[in-house]
Amino acid sequence: MWDGVLSNEVMSECGFYVHVPFCETKCGYCDFYSVPLMDRPTSPLVARLVTDIEGRAGEYSGDIVTMFIGGGTPTVLPISDFRALFSALGDVAGTHKPREFSVEANPATLDEVKMEILASAGVDRISMGGQSWHPSELETLERLHSPSDIAPGVALARRFGIGRINLDLIFGIPGQTLETWAESLRKTIDLGVDHIACYGLTYEAGTRLTSQLRAGVLTPCDENLEADMFELAVEMLRGDGYAQYEISNFARPGQACLHNLIYWRNDMYIGAGPSAAGYVDGVRYKNVSDVGRYVQMIDSVGHAVLQKERVTGAALAGETLMMQLRLNEGIALGLFASRTGIDLQQVCGSRLEMLRGRGLVDVLEDVVRLTDAGRLVADSIISDLYADVHAAEALSDRS
Amino acid sequence: MIDRGFIRNFSIIAHIDHGKSTLADRLLEHSGAITKREMRDQFLDDMDLEREMGITIKANRATIQHKYNGQAYMLNLLDTPGHVDFHYEVSRAMAACEGVLLLVDAAQGVQAHTVANAYIAVEANCEIILVINKIDLPAAHPEEVALEVEQVLGLAAEDAVFTSAKTGEGIDELLDAVCARIPAPIGEINAPLRALIYDAKTDIHRGIINHVRLKDGVVKRGDKIRTMAVGSEHIVTEVGKFTPKPVAVPQLSAGEVGYLLAGIKTLVDVNIGDTITLATHPASEPLSGYEAPNQMVFCDFYPGPGTQTPDLREAMEKLWLNDSSFTYEPVTSDALGIGFRCGFLGLLHMKIIQERLERESDVNVVQTAPTVTYEIGLNDGTFIHIQSPSEMPDMSSVQEIREPFCRANVIVPSHFVGAVLSLSLDRRGIHKKTEYLSPTRVMLSFEFPLGEIIYDFYDKLKSCTKGYGTVDYELIDFRGGDLVKLDILVNAMAVDALSVIVHRDKAVTRGRRLIIRLKKEISRHQFEIPLQAAIGAKVIARETIKAFRKNVTAKCYGGDISRKRKLLEKQKEGKKRMKQVGNVEIPQGAFMSILEPDD
Ligand SMILES: Nc1nc2c(ncn2[C@@H]2O[C@H](COP(=O)(O)OP(=O)(O)OP(=O)(O)O)[C@@H](O)[C@H]2O)c(=O)[nH]1
Ligand code: SF4
Ligand SMILES: [Mg+2]
Repeated sequence: MWDGVLSNEVMSECGFYVHVPFCETKCGYCDFYSVPLMDRPTSPLVARLVTDIEGRAGEYSGDIVTMFIGGGTPTVLPISDFRALFSALGDVAGTHKPREFSVEANPATLDEVKMEILASAGVDRISMGGQSWHPSELETLERLHSPSDIAPGVALARRFGIGRINLDLIFGIPGQTLETWAESLRKTIDLGVDHIACYGLTYEAGTRLTSQLRAGVLTPCDENLEADMFELAVEMLRGDGYAQYEISNFARPGQACLHNLIYWRNDMYIGAGPSAAGYVDGVRYKNVSDVGRYVQMIDSVGHAVLQKERVTGAALAGETLMMQLRLNEGIALGLFASRTGIDLQQVCGSRLEMLRGRGLVDVLEDVVRLTDAGRLVADSIISDLYADVHAAEALSDRS
Repeated sequence: MIDRGFIRNFSIIAHIDHGKSTLADRLLEHSGAITKREMRDQFLDDMDLEREMGITIKANRATIQHKYNGQAYMLNLLDTPGHVDFHYEVSRAMAACEGVLLLVDAAQGVQAHTVANAYIAVEANCEIILVINKIDLPAAHPEEVALEVEQVLGLAAEDAVFTSAKTGEGIDELLDAVCARIPAPIGEINAPLRALIYDAKTDIHRGIINHVRLKDGVVKRGDKIRTMAVGSEHIVTEVGKFTPKPVAVPQLSAGEVGYLLAGIKTLVDVNIGDTITLATHPASEPLSGYEAPNQMVFCDFYPGPGTQTPDLREAMEKLWLNDSSFTYEPVTSDALGIGFRCGFLGLLHMKIIQERLERESDVNVVQTAPTVTYEIGLNDGTFIHIQSPSEMPDMSSVQEIREPFCRANVIVPSHFVGAVLSLSLDRRGIHKKTEYLSPTRVMLSFEFPLGEIIYDFYDKLKSCTKGYGTVDYELIDFRGGDLVKLDILVNAMAVDALSVIVHRDKAVTRGRRLIIRLKKEISRHQFEIPLQAAIGAKVIARETIKAFRKNVTAKCYGGDISRKRKLLEKQKEGKKRMKQVGNVEIPQGAFMSILEPDD
């Protein structure tokens, strides 16, 4: 199914993403596809997930260079299912010898047995949702864990030889101050993890936090304060040797998340599990976001793909631009042109010049990057450039 | 062929919604012109927009039969629009009639347009039959209303006919009265042909359908005709009548109303108001035509999203061939590009034309705020007329700015007089006269700057009189005033399409209101945007749209890409509805925001 002709696109590295759609409870801000576990049996899903994983891995002829198991919270699975899942994943890892194998974990759901299973499957990186070191902020977010779970979680992973650890932090939480944010950053840095992701809280459609906001029972963080928090994070983390390599991601040298880099460079990845997306040989697909229908589809047709789209032309250029600009490494114009057929200097030249004039982008030796100031308003820059690229296409269609 | 003595030509005129079209329905039904099965409300309102809005926009005609005193009569009726914007349609209708039915709502009584339309009929020397309609309404007080009309217009109350266009009551008497009281058309059947073109429509298959009313002579298929003003000659291919469906007849003769086809392709070749005669046997004098419709408000139409200037031009040409009551000419704006400056009879007319353009030609229109014509006196003693503030010459060469004034009649229940007077004061009105129509109702006469009442005066009047007030106006002259051109600067650039001409006393309030509204319309950018209202070099109001400090999505991973792209796709579509002025994106709605009433 995926052995289509590899186009002239520079795509050799393929990631593998697996989505485990369960959590203990649903956090107030979360719009990932995940359902609260309750007493739900997880083995029917895990059985299909294994089928999906084996099928996808089997049909892909190239090399899988990264693996990322996310969700949801993969670590909430009961032991037997957890074991079954990671034995299948361990097989894939054994065959492909990926350069990185990450698993998302909630600090409160980690224990020695599970850690042992992860380590023996070949997992070498753990990403934990820390979010905040302040109980009241965690409460606003409706997170289950408490700050005191974070350090033990990190220590446990290290004990099992998993040294590469990411901690997620959230800023812009209602009630958060610049001081509490600085404290969360400081404590995280002091743990010595090699990767920190700082996310500005967003109000996604359909989440409880969004309805609270609409109902007026929640006062959102002031835009200026949020910008200050973002700038503070960049400053503190840089000061402690973490380089920002994507808008929200900071890493010690050599510790950037290879799997996520595949997304941001707009390269190939396979997806398995409910709601997982994939992008292989120019085709994007997305699985059904429903456990029941996922099970049915895997059983009846052997896959759970609901949407599929070949991305070409301005859409491809637009996507690539949208992702690559998030990276501090920026867009290499030559590569961009050979891959998408669109010369950005040609279609957005005057816009880039104007943005450069305002100090929002840098154009240096064939590479376009956002500056610190530009990163703060990245969405509006991307939106403008995206429109330029499409306008240029519409023009050339007309003539 | 029917004897001319048994032909009656008449129009139905009234204030808006007093029941003209519904009465026409009853007349058509009564005479059997259309069957009950074919009947639908306001049958003659055949334009989609007329049916949706429940108002008549174009005058419509029909020919019906009626027996009176054992004699068959042929009645040509014209249903006219009531709205002030379309008064010229009424004037035009008069030229094809000897009489009118002046309808007055038995519950509402005389309204501003009742008076205005009645005057048009009087001026045209038409016989007026007063019809008090809607007598079925519980709130009806027909006798009082008849007396009110007598008081205002001097029409004898005792001659009024009472009808209900809803139940059909009084329709027979009305038709009898038409036969008895409206004079037969005069004219010479043996004289050389003189037919007045009182309207013309474009039919894609048949070319121009001329609506004619014959004064003298006879016309039939095969005749070679000449239009007296334009001077072009054509061969008649068909003549017919509206029953109300067009039906071909062997000939039309003096006194009759009908249509005439002569292979004329476009409206450009027809002059409404022109007289048709026979080329072989021409009349010496043409009939007196009518004044061309007078455009009172002007605004620019620019191509909107997905529309190119040539598409818009084509759409305007096509619509103009169907309705030549608006004008258009090419115009270039720094802010909006190439478009058309259009003239309309009023605001409703403007909205209707825009709606019809978008509907009938599938184009998108960006419209600027409407303005009236100003007369500019220059230093060299000459005058020019400008139809947009952006046409204002350099102020150093301007001696004086004159604005159009109109005479306006407002009719209200007497306890609202105070409210109306204070509203008129606010609009720089000059109160001229107060006239009691009855102990409880008053007609106030004013002179107003047209620019003060043409946009939202009617809404304001409605709201300060609990919906009872009505107004009608007509242009009288241009008068000098302390007027200034107010410029709006967005990010230090004057946006020509946003300029307005205002009275100096109101400049600050107006300027402030304008930029506050603009501030709401323009979204934040990556940089700060100053908004200023200025008279010449003097800034009289300012606001700032702050730059956003943070505008970035925290997360974007593999599963988000398609969704994020759809979002960008949507934003891209949104940008198309923006006009780029300098580096600022101004939504198209902002150009109309000048017009919106105060919040
Ligand atoms: N009760 C009652 N309602 C009537 C009568 N005549 C008309 N109406 C209603 O009054 C409203 C306006 O009627 P129209 O016939 O559209 O009025 P019009 O004078 O043609 O209006 P314009 O063309 O917009 O000037 C409609 O809702 C009619 O149904 C009547 O005799 N009695
Ligand atoms: S744990 Fe993560 S995936 Fe689960 S609900 Fe919370 S934020 Fe969402
Ligand atoms: Mg009508």
